[in-house]
Amino acid sequence: MISVPHIKKVRVETGARAHPQSTRILNRLKGLPVEEVRPAEEIREGPPGFFNMEKETLRLLSFQGEFLKPCPGTSTYICCGYQILHVGTNCPLDCSYCILQAYFNQTSLRVFVNLENKLEQIGKRIDKDPEKIFRIGTGEFTDSLALEPITGWAEILFPFFAGKKNAVLELKTKTDQVEGLLSSKWRDRIIVSWSLNSPSVASREEQGAPSIKKRLLAARRCQKEGFVLGFHFDPLIVHGDWEEGYMRTLEMMDRYVDPKGIIWTSMGSLRYMPLLKGIIRRRHPRTHILDGEFVPGKDGKMRYFKPIRIEMYRFLGSMLKKWHGGLGIYLCMESDEVWQKGLGWSPGNTGGLSRYLDERVYATFG
Amino acid sequence: MVKATPIRDLFCMDVLEIAKQDSILVALKQISQSPGPYCMSFGFDLKPLIRSIEKFGLINSPIVTKDTEGRMEVVAGYRRILALKHLQWEDIPCRDLSHLGFAPVELLLFNLHDNLSTRPFNAVEKGMVLSRLDQYISREEVLRDFMPLLDLPCHGHTLEMFLGLEKLEQPIKESLVNRRISFQTAKAFVHMKPESRATLFNWITGVGLNANQQSQFLAYTADISIRDQKEIPELLEEEEILDILNDVNLNNPQKAKRLLNFLKSRRFPLLTRSEKRFREKSTGLGLPDGVSISHPPFFEDPDYRLEIFFKNGKKLREKIDALGKVSGLESLGDPWKEDDV
Repeated sequence: MISVPHIKKVRVETGARAHPQSTRILNRLKGLPVEEVRPAEEIREGPPGFFNMEKETLRLLSFQGEFLKPCPGTSTYICCGYQILHVGTNCPLDCSYCILQAYFNQTSLRVFVNLENKLEQIGKRIDKDPEKIFRIGTGEFTDSLALEPITGWAEILFPFFAGKKNAVLELKTKTDQVEGLLSSKWRDRIIVSWSLNSPSVASREEQGAPSIKKRLLAARRCQKEGFVLGFHFDPLIVHGDWEEGYMRTLEMMDRYVDPKGIIWTSMGSLRYMPLLKGIIRRRHPRTHILDGEFVPGKDGKMRYFKPIRIEMYRFLGSMLKKWHGGLGIYLCMESDEVWQKGLGWSPGNTGGLSRYLDERVYATFG
Repeated sequence: MVKATPIRDLFCMDVLEIAKQDSILVALKQISQSPGPYCMSFGFDLKPLIRSIEKFGLINSPIVTKDTEGRMEVVAGYRRILALKHLQWEDIPCRDLSHLGFAPVELLLFNLHDNLSTRPFNAVEKGMVLSRLDQYISREEVLRDFMPLLDLPCHGHTLEMFLGLEKLEQPIKESLVNRRISFQTAKAFVHMKPESRATLFNWITGVGLNANQQSQFLAYTADISIRDQKEIPELLEEEEILDILNDVNLNNPQKAKRLLNFLKSRRFPLLTRSEKRFREKSTGLGLPDGVSISHPPFFEDPDYRLEIFFKNGKKLREKIDALGKVSGLESLGDPWKEDDV
């Protein structure tokens, strides 16, 4: 049995038990109570309400929707043209700023056990468009690696992506759960990425996530074992001595990681749907992430007042560039103006940014 | 407290038995004057009922039952009893259910359904209903069976919020029902410390903030209080804020505007400074009459906006010519400086 301390119970939806993935997961979680539930049946334990996310319950289900979907992004800012591979929802970590707190009306950690059955369909979609580069990630609606020890997603997905010449799979994480990756023989078309922040934001606001040092040590192990790395400074948060804080993270990157093996490094400032503010206040009463000057953006999300964002990108961007010139720096959901003023150049639009990142894929994987 | 019994087993009272009860005269002084455990009326206007009883008499008798100390408790008809008291009736015709052996929860459900069939509940009354049900019935059943009856979504946080509304102080509940404070404000009050709530309530009602202003006021004060680690009463006791409240030259709408502007400048110093600089810059340009320059909302877009009002092409030409002669136009731009951030 694998020790995943935060999971205390498993719910299996009727019809999901027959999938081999359910059997594998239940074998890895032997000893935990298992309950069978109907697909639409929502059971909530503990105090009622929006604020109990039941992160200690794992629900196994057969997902009936689309597994591969374009990232919703936004039409009012420049996006990267990412594709989301929908392997599950919710996350055992509890970051104060996490959008998932307001995103799903269903609680508990959910794993889609019919992923394997859908790979053929996903493959056809990718093969149908051979000129397009599919930059695909599993870390949008969950952390890509937090549940890896029990889901074994790597052993399902790695061989599939290794055979795709116009796709890459990016696993975005804040954890150091890399054993499953390292024990696999596959490396091609796989990017392992870490979300980074300043050490103080990581310790105060990213509850349950390992320290920045531990994340970077895990990155170093992956890099030594031949994995391509990515990094995401998202969300950047204004806090006391934020420049110094982000510099400390950069110093650790320099200590543990070879910049030549990094495919891309993104930056994005904290943004949130207005609805999330109340949830953050209730769920994380001691947080200071909402202290900054947030104004409504063109997409309706709250974001830092423009000069503040520009200053953060300008500062961290210049420091990253100073460290190494080929980090593939880009901004997540920002305007042409902010790109120009923050980084000194702009891809112009979503198509331009997609091409820039596709080039990085070609250069790295061929 | 009975909490786990399913509703279908509880509500098996013989309604005919109630209907068959003859009215008896009960002395008003024998009837408890407090709302009691079954009442779900709040913030009502008694006058129409008093006028009706004066004109047509008491059409439906209130329903009462004896409590454990032998006093008559109102099951249904609390408002009628208050109206009759106002009219100084000494004896009131009531239907007494004491000897029928109904459980309190059955009497509560009886009154709930009696009310549901005749009138909508206000927000405080919904809170009263839910908190009374909460004493006898499981949360799951309250959510599933009773929230829809009250036109509420079956969400735990909605239930918690309405239970919280019922616990708010009387003046706040009255202001909610009388619409002096908005429902959103009352919701925010539920989660606040009593001292903060009292201070904010006094400001809102004292200055007469409208619903939008209330929501801005609450957002600014909450954000500043958390950011500066200062309790809300302490924040609102600051000299500059009290000066606004005590300024005899200002009427309430002016006080409201000044208060919100002050709080905004505390909450968004860079944005406020930028707006002010832009305003000063554009007014300092000496633009021709009917010509104005404005910035995009929150400066998020890169483009500024020029607006010209004119009566005809000749006037437009004159204004464009005059605009061309305005000196300093080139210096118009983003109003923040690098060291502002």
